[in-house]
Amino acid sequence: MPSSAKIRIDLNSQVPAYRQIVDAVRVLLVDGTLPPGSDLPSVRRLAMELGVHFNTVGEAYRALAEEGWLDLRHGRGASVIARGSPGAAPPERLQEFRVQLRNLVAQMRSAGVPPTRIAAELRAAMESLHL
Amino acid sequence: MNSLLPFALLLTAFTGALMLLLPHISPHRYFFAITVAPGFRSSDQGRASLRRYNAAVVCSVVIAVVATLGVDQSEPRLTVPMAALSPALLGLAAFLLERSQVRRFAAPVSAVREAELAPEHDHLPRWIALTLPPFALPLAAAAYLRAHWDEIPARFPVHFDAHNVANRWADKTARAVYGPLVFAGGGMLIMILLILAMFYGSRRGRQRTAILKMMVAVIYFMGLLFTGIGIMPALQFSPSVLFIPALAFPLILLVWIIFVLRDPKMPADATPDECWTLGAIYYNRQDPAIFVQRRIGFGYTPNFGNPLSWLIMGGFVAALLGLVFTLPR
Repeated sequence: MPSSAKIRIDLNSQVPAYRQIVDAVRVLLVDGTLPPGSDLPSVRRLAMELGVHFNTVGEAYRALAEEGWLDLRHGRGASVIARGSPGAAPPERLQEFRVQLRNLVAQMRSAGVPPTRIAAELRAAMESLHL
Repeated sequence: MNSLLPFALLLTAFTGALMLLLPHISPHRYFFAITVAPGFRSSDQGRASLRRYNAAVVCSVVIAVVATLGVDQSEPRLTVPMAALSPALLGLAAFLLERSQVRRFAAPVSAVREAELAPEHDHLPRWIALTLPPFALPLAAAAYLRAHWDEIPARFPVHFDAHNVANRWADKTARAVYGPLVFAGGGMLIMILLILAMFYGSRRGRQRTAILKMMVAVIYFMGLLFTGIGIMPALQFSPSVLFIPALAFPLILLVWIIFVLRDPKMPADATPDECWTLGAIYYNRQDPAIFVQRRIGFGYTPNFGNPLSWLIMGGFVAALLGLVFTLPR
């Protein structure tokens, strides 16, 4: 596993800590920083490093396991598993993503980011995830 | 005049010097145990703060010297305790006073936490095995004592005054002869258990490695010192031989700490200011860490908000008390 496999969360953020952990680890899974076979730290260790409750990390690991990314081993953390290509997202899920993207773009516009920059940022995000 | 007075005054000066060093042997991130901006130490306020503290410590040493001289006249047996305790207590008061001044310049503690997802850092490093060879010292000493049992006098000194004159004796029994060696072995074992507890109960980082290496050095020192003490009944050498290493080791450790802390990139645990009492006691129920980095000095302190810390510290104190009973009396 490359040493750059780091996640970062903000304890003051309005986004729940478990959601931040899921999002951060998912980015590393999608961009290949965490390839199949990689071991993740135990729930206890990651909770200690991040200064959050064990249940927070446990919940995040379970969410990623439900998405098919992780294999949870009792008391020994988790490991990344090979995930087959998921089928096309159902229309209602796609609609959910569409709403989230629209909200994000609206937030960026309202913060003064020009449309060309928004498009460039979206492209850069796609490229960084090797998509 | 008490013949111990020069020693007592030296002790006062040494304690005063330690108090002057205190702000410099703590992680750079903290100043008087308060989180400050990176350049604060060298800012005008930071320098003024240090000047005030240094002046207060010098005053406290002067007061301690006067008090020690006074006690030496009226209650000579209190001379040494007065010489050791008064500069430490007055210095600590000065530290806490300055801490309350620095609080005005406290920097907001970042709520951002970062963690590496590599589990290899969770395995004990190989150098931890270096804690095992020192056990050979008390074992070898015990074998030597057993082989030379007949050469050990029926009564032998077990305590000495400041002039190296024996003031307590013990009969030649297995407990009296082997007691210090059992104490050494038990003490080293407790240190190893503490190292393991600190490794698994604290956050990763270079500071953890540095602290644990210092603890390994302490195990070697304990092994050497107590083996020296344990073998005295058979070899009957002067305890002053052990004086120099006993004084030199803390100084070496001090220099080591200063050297480690000179590295401006040496990380420090990010702990909220409001969870610290008097800059020394950490209580945070939200923090799953069992041990966190100290803000005064260099090392770890328990997180009293974690029940496991109480369990470990309780076990530590019980084990220490148990070991004391192995010593000859």
